[in-house]
Amino acid sequence: MLKITSLIILTAVLGLSSCTKDPINDLSTEETLVYVTNRDKTVDYKQYKTFSIVDSVLVVENNQSGTALDEIDRALLNRIIINMQSLGYTYVAPSAKPDVGINAAWVTNTQLNVTTQPSYYGGYWGGYGYGYGYPSYYQYYETSESYWLISMVDFKNANTTDKTFNVVWDAQIRGSGIGSTQLVDQMVNSVFTQSNYLKIK
Amino acid sequence: MRKIFLVALFAIVFSAAKAQEAPKLYTLPSPFERYTHYLATVRYSGAMPLGSFSDSYIDKFSARNYSVSLEWVLRNSPLSIGGEIGSNYFQKRIPRAVYQSGDETISAVQTRTITQYPIQVFANYHFLNKTSTIQPYAQISGGAAITDYTVYYGSLAQQKQKIAPAYGIGLGSKFLFKRDGSFGADLRVKYEGTSFKYDYIEKGTSSVNASVGLFYRWW
Repeated sequence: MLKITSLIILTAVLGLSSCTKDPINDLSTEETLVYVTNRDKTVDYKQYKTFSIVDSVLVVENNQSGTALDEIDRALLNRIIINMQSLGYTYVAPSAKPDVGINAAWVTNTQLNVTTQPSYYGGYWGGYGYGYGYPSYYQYYETSESYWLISMVDFKNANTTDKTFNVVWDAQIRGSGIGSTQLVDQMVNSVFTQSNYLKIK
Repeated sequence: MRKIFLVALFAIVFSAAKAQEAPKLYTLPSPFERYTHYLATVRYSGAMPLGSFSDSYIDKFSARNYSVSLEWVLRNSPLSIGGEIGSNYFQKRIPRAVYQSGDETISAVQTRTITQYPIQVFANYHFLNKTSTIQPYAQISGGAAITDYTVYYGSLAQQKQKIAPAYGIGLGSKFLFKRDGSFGADLRVKYEGTSFKYDYIEKGTSSVNASVGLFYRWW
């Protein structure tokens, strides 16, 4: 009788553990995207009239950086220009002393994580009167996350004392669909749409 | 005449013997009455979030809840005591929306989830005796729930895992498939709550669960 009961309980426990499923595997590529924008609330954007933009995308990976101008980067920069113009800003060359500058970057952070071997499996051979003498075994695994970072830099009111330019607005585009060229227009439009305070006309 | 008498006598003696046999069968009470016995139940339930948990986090019906329990049905008492472990899962998808957090604006498709593994002890009070094929009961339970709270913004997860006190009160009934048998069905409606508080959940979780179960009892 005990056997039957154990079987019922075992079946039930197996049933309990097998019912987990990935809650986000039904998201479309577009739905995975997350748009995060930040602003400097003390700034009146109406003071700016002109803007310029970097000629290529800055690629930052673990504090090392370079530049890139692939199809997706070009699409991103062009879409930023279109959005800035429709907000009322005039596009000028960097040499024409723009009021604000736009930077675009692809940032990747790779982290090395460490975990230790659990030692409680050692009990299995305990019947022989021996425990396990475990040295410290460590396992390493790497995680990395990339995102687009678009920032608006105030050239008009440069901080002359410590020679810095303030970032008055920035946008991060995160999620598993950020490398999709088809979605670039939508990504850029979205970050500007949710920042309607940038509008100057 | 004599013949008829003999037949009649035989008939009387025979039926008397039969009548003597019959009470013997029923004078012995069921072992489930005589002994403290065990009862194991497997349940599947549907759950509906309630109160502020429903208002501020997930208001969607969940059909992914399971539990298994083991109880001791006490002799000469309407009470039984036992333990139950379960798994509850609630989920809700919210289409793309804009969220404000300080100076930050976040636009995302939100997937709200909560997984609970409640481990509780309970006491049942039975309204009818153990020989009855229908055994309605009232239940009170308490314990802790291992809780995983995960909100996905797009494909990014914000997670919190915590063990929170859990409690419940319910009404149900056991239905034996056969009088004095070992197998039966169990129907129960139960209010379940935990004091888990994090982010969107400010006042703990609460839900009403309706379950269908099968039980096996032995001594």
